[in-house]
Amino acid sequence: MAHDAHDHHHKESFITKYIFTQDHKMIGKQYLVTAIIMGGIGIALSALFRLKLGWPDDKFPLLESILGSDAAPDGLLDSNWYLGLVTLHGTIMVFFVLTGGLSGTFSNLLIPLQIGARDMASGLLNMIAYWLFFISSSLMAASLFIETGPAMAGWTVYPPLSVLEEFQPGSGLGMTLWLLSMAVFIASSLIGGINYIVTILNLRTKGMTMTRLPLTIWAFFITAILGVLSFPVLLSCAVLLLMDRGFGTSFYMSDIVTSSGALDATGGSPILYEHLFWFLGHPEVYIILLPALGITSEVISTLSRKPIFGYRAMIGSMLAIGFLSFIVWGHHMFMTGMNPFLGGVFTFTTLLIAIPSAVKVFNYITTIWKGNVIMTPAMLFSIGSVSTFISGGITGIILADSALDISQHDTYFVVGHFHIVMGMTAILAMFAGVYHWFPKLYGKMMNLRMGMVHFWFTIVCGYGVFIPMHFLGEGGMPRRYYENTNFPMFDHFLDLNVLISIFATIGVIAQVIFFFNFIYSSFRGPKASQNPWNANSLEWTTPVEHIHGNWYGELPVVYRWPYDYSKPGKENDFVPQNVPLDADEEEH
Amino acid sequence: MENKFIIVVVVALFIIALMQLMKVYDLAAKIRGEKSEEKVTRGENIFNANMLIVFMLTYFGFIIWLIFKYGMNGGLFDAASVHGQEIDSLLLFNWWVILPVFFLTNGVLFVFSWKYYYRQERKALYFPHDNRLELIWTIVPAVALSAIVIYGLKTWNDIMFNDQEGAKVVEVYGFQFGWWTRYSGDDNVLGKADYKLITASNPLGVITSENIQNSYNYLDGEVEKINLLLSESKNDEGEYFLSANNVDSLIGRMERFKRQKYRIKSAIDRGDQNDSVYKSANDDVLVQELHLIKDQPYAMKFRSKDVIHCPWVPHLRMQINAVPGMETSFNFTPTTTTQEMRAKPEVIEHYRVINEIHNERLKKLGEKEEKVEFNYLLMCNKICGAAHSNMKMDVVIETAEEFNSWIAEKQTYAQKASE
Ligand code: HEM
Ligand SMILES: [Cu+2]
Ligand SMILES: [Cu+2]
Repeated sequence: MAHDAHDHHHKESFITKYIFTQDHKMIGKQYLVTAIIMGGIGIALSALFRLKLGWPDDKFPLLESILGSDAAPDGLLDSNWYLGLVTLHGTIMVFFVLTGGLSGTFSNLLIPLQIGARDMASGLLNMIAYWLFFISSSLMAASLFIETGPAMAGWTVYPPLSVLEEFQPGSGLGMTLWLLSMAVFIASSLIGGINYIVTILNLRTKGMTMTRLPLTIWAFFITAILGVLSFPVLLSCAVLLLMDRGFGTSFYMSDIVTSSGALDATGGSPILYEHLFWFLGHPEVYIILLPALGITSEVISTLSRKPIFGYRAMIGSMLAIGFLSFIVWGHHMFMTGMNPFLGGVFTFTTLLIAIPSAVKVFNYITTIWKGNVIMTPAMLFSIGSVSTFISGGITGIILADSALDISQHDTYFVVGHFHIVMGMTAILAMFAGVYHWFPKLYGKMMNLRMGMVHFWFTIVCGYGVFIPMHFLGEGGMPRRYYENTNFPMFDHFLDLNVLISIFATIGVIAQVIFFFNFIYSSFRGPKASQNPWNANSLEWTTPVEHIHGNWYGELPVVYRWPYDYSKPGKENDFVPQNVPLDADEEEH
Repeated sequence: MENKFIIVVVVALFIIALMQLMKVYDLAAKIRGEKSEEKVTRGENIFNANMLIVFMLTYFGFIIWLIFKYGMNGGLFDAASVHGQEIDSLLLFNWWVILPVFFLTNGVLFVFSWKYYYRQERKALYFPHDNRLELIWTIVPAVALSAIVIYGLKTWNDIMFNDQEGAKVVEVYGFQFGWWTRYSGDDNVLGKADYKLITASNPLGVITSENIQNSYNYLDGEVEKINLLLSESKNDEGEYFLSANNVDSLIGRMERFKRQKYRIKSAIDRGDQNDSVYKSANDDVLVQELHLIKDQPYAMKFRSKDVIHCPWVPHLRMQINAVPGMETSFNFTPTTTTQEMRAKPEVIEHYRVINEIHNERLKKLGEKEEKVEFNYLLMCNKICGAAHSNMKMDVVIETAEEFNSWIAEKQTYAQKASE
């Protein structure tokens, strides 16, 4: 790398420093801010459509003033728009907040800092990846403002529903924007992912062997590999859909009759789409989860003042999860009429994933056992994240079972399950990451008490929303229903839906605490010291102020793993990675 | 307008309150001489540790309360089908394995976090790994999961490879937004169908010679209509006064109808009135409700006209996608008639509650009271558009006599054609 300590002198203009920057720290911040904005939109959408589910008969003038009179005439949400809001909520949360946002922020911030590199392998590609992400976010958000509404076929946009405007208005322009946005998003993910992989493989500082990497880096590494292997499949899947929509092909369509007669399409199959989609779709949930698990590993070890238990087992289980995630996609398709034998195979592979996941959970718990747990907001969020990982993982065992899926598939049980295991686990971990690394991001401290209050609101409301959904599902209530009142058999759930909506509203409003803390602290927060949490990894050896090239002078040299907390015979309860081993000291 | 104003005020007050709170904290910390934002105080450690326990107890309590209030299958009762009962026992078995794990693992997590909260005088245990422990918690889940997999796959295979002799063939057909049911009649064979024949009078595209003729008539009629429209929309110079787009789309439609007719001619029409293809639909019966005979095995077939739908009968634990372009199937045997179900004490009690809630809501809406009775229902469980949440079909389970007298009143395809 050409950078060295001398070249941070030259002056930078506002534009090269804050906008078209190639500095990984600034790019990380750009990802974070974009993700927070998208997260605000996504979460607000859920609060809006929860109004309809909680109070199906009431009118909310608020809805009309926010969404316009096409979407909510007289304050009553339109049923097409309901599906549109659900679709964009899901898409934004999954792809923009928890894929682009989570990986983008922390991979960018932490990879160079924790492996001891001056920057990413290619700053230019890194910048391009961010701007593609920005463009795709804007396209997706823009689709909320068109008259016929955004894509409405669910975040999985199954054809034929997503192909013809005749089937639902959102399958017109809204769906086109959705596909364009996703295509750009995929390009961004691929460019970003390749950059992360190359950086981790090539730019580790002296002494930073693969088995001395913090678990965050391992998580980002495996995540990037999953993304690079699976996103191209989604791209081809989307391109075929685009062709079916615009160019009269019939990859996914056959034997279809609309109000204007029989279509010409023959020979295609929507099931082909589902296979292609879920070949990405399942690895995708681990693309979301692994960075979250990486962050919690790091935070839990640091703030329990105790080495992460079973470092190698943690890496091994992440690798196992990563590998298995490619051979389980069929569990989303048990009910498509696929060959039952195949269903059995997918049940088996899916339940296999539970084993490495269980190992991870037990390792977290053992890390806390006999630790010295400091209750920073980051630690609280990490404990919460492990708890949701357990709670949601447990119900995954039920959904993995093809026989049980007959009575659970596409009910609210599924909604409860994936929100807890993927949504909450990853969101809580993302918050943990922001609180923990805020001093690195902005050189300031966030307010700890507000962080604690934010945590308690979030976990209580999160469970308050999603645990009851399991009961709705067990009662047979289908998901993606605009209203349940057409079925009096669900009337005994009216009050439960009110409860869920109340929790959801409070939970969403409580995020204002975070927004406020984040913005206030980034401008006026107290200045951070260099290593506020007494942590071992290399990012805490960099100066508080951001400099180009990360370290003044030489790069640090690494002599040990990052988890030497409370090591016997040491004066402090932490030993940074760049401290040489004592003459008689064993590595671990 | 007022609402907006109130919301703005509330949000503003909330933010101001937060700011004041921060100021107070910062001041207090300054007075104590701490650098407030880096150290979690002893009091805060204890407070949060205790909160973790309070939270855990509330969380567990909440779940147990929900179980008592709504039950493990919230108002679905014992499954009313043979395979449904197998699914329910499997589900129960799974819960018995995983619920203890859930409480235990979550419990240990919260209790450890509480017990080992930070105290300056303590030092954490340096315990980086232990192969024996790690082996244990790889093997124990593996064993538990093996049991779940074996039991699960056995049930799955029982349900999916269940080709019982004498199963009656019935078809359910989904469309935006509703369902058709077709009974296969005495021959127990569904007459062949083709989507190209679908018209208003032949919603499933069933192949009979009348239907083919009707389709020709219909398509010719449509072509005629468009032709007429086009010729009427020309001015004296022979130019269209419709927009070019409109003309194109009309011509496109017309071409499509012509193609459709051609495809019917070449692929479906056998020319020979007596071909057996035309016969097997004769005894089929088309209705819009699903009547099933108790203890009678069924081989259900599913198709869709437009997008993916998903017939879902919660009380029977029956679900499978209906996919355009292919046929899916599900075999099962219902075990409880609607009447038997209505007579069960737990059903009576449940519907007493449902009626109360239901009518309270109707009253609020200013609508007439109505009595809700237990009914099996088939609903759509795959997102399919605006009325996805209103795609329902009544399902009635009854005795063979009741079924026979019900179906006897329905017209077969042959009867309809001869009218
Ligand atoms: C305040 C927090 C949230 C609330 C109240 C909420 C609520 C909901 C509800 C009610 C649905 C509709 C379920 C259905 O009808 O199928 C839904 C769908 C969904 N949510 Fe959330 N959610 C929240 C946060 C999240 C998060 C953090 C994620 C991140 C993974 C997420 C991902 C999704 C996805 C993927 C869907 C499926 C969309 C679809 O069916 O197409 N949500 N959410
Ligand atoms: Cu999956
Ligand atoms: Cu449907």
